[in-house]
Amino acid sequence: MTGQKWKGLFIRAIRLYTLLVTLIIVIMMILGSLLDRDRVFSYDAFLSPLIYALIGTVATVITRSDRELSVRSLIIRKVISLLLIEGAIILIALNAETIPTEKSWVIPGLAIGVFAVFVLTHIILYLIDRREAGKLNADLARFQEKQMDGSPAAG
Amino acid sequence: MKLETRKIPESEPETVEIRYHWVTDEIQEIISFVKSRQGQLSATRDGQRFEVPVMDLLYAESVDERLFLYTAGDSYEIRMKLYELEEILKNKCFFRASKSMIVNLMKITSVRPALNGRFSAVLKNGEEIIISRKYVPELKQMLKGGES
Repeated sequence: MTGQKWKGLFIRAIRLYTLLVTLIIVIMMILGSLLDRDRVFSYDAFLSPLIYALIGTVATVITRSDRELSVRSLIIRKVISLLLIEGAIILIALNAETIPTEKSWVIPGLAIGVFAVFVLTHIILYLIDRREAGKLNADLARFQEKQMDGSPAAG
Repeated sequence: MKLETRKIPESEPETVEIRYHWVTDEIQEIISFVKSRQGQLSATRDGQRFEVPVMDLLYAESVDERLFLYTAGDSYEIRMKLYELEEILKNKCFFRASKSMIVNLMKITSVRPALNGRFSAVLKNGEEIIISRKYVPELKQMLKGGES
C-alpha cells in the first residue's frame, strides 16, 4: 500500500469516526429521552460515543476492500460490517453495569439505534460524495472547454 | 536490427523510415508505436487491422491480459499492455480510472457518486464506468491543469 493510499484511508477513517461520534450522541440523546428519561450518568458516559464510534470505524475499515467489488459483494460486506458492529455494541452493553439490559426494550433499542446510525452515516457520506462529484463536473466542463479552445490544460 | 539516427536541418521534415524484409511482429510493433505518437493506434477487429484515432477512443480496458479499445460504435484489440498505452496517451486527456481502465476525459458527460465511496463516469455513448477512489486525486489534479 502506498503512502498516498494510507493517507486517503486515514482521512476517510477520521471523517467516518467524527461523523459516527456525532450521530451516536444524537441517537443516544433521542433514544434516552424517549425510553429512559430519568437516568443520570457520570462523566464516564462521555466516553461511550467515542468507544462505539471506534468500533464502527474499525469494523468498516477491516471489512473494506481495494478490489472492484460487484454490488452483491458490496452488500454482503456491508451486512457483515453492520453485524460486527451490532454484535460488538450489544456485547459491550451486556457487560456494562450502567446499561440496564435487564429491561426488555434496551437491546432492541440499541440494535435499532446502531442500524439508524449505520444508515444515516451512509446517507451523509453519499451526500458528501455527491458534492464532490458536483465539483468534479464543474472542473471537467472547464477542462473540456479549455481543450476545445486549443489551449492545453494538462501537461 | 540496425538502428540509425541522423540529425537533420530544421527545414527538413522529421521522418521515421523503417526498412524491412518482412512485416514481422517486431516491425508491426514499431509501426504501431510511431502511429500512436501521431494520434492513431493500430488495433484489430475480427482479424482485420484498423487505425483508430486516439480522439475517438472512449476508454481502453484490460481484460484477462488482453487490451481492448472502445469507441462509440466499435471495440478493437490492441497488442500492448495497459501501462504502455497509458504512457503513449499521457498528455492526451486520458486518465487511469481503475486498475484495468484508462478513460478519455473528453468523452465523459458527467461524474456521479457510486457505491462504496467510488465514482462513476457517464460517457458520451451513455455507458457508465467506475472510477476507483484511489485515482480520484489524480483526476482532480488533471482537471485543475496539473501534470497528467
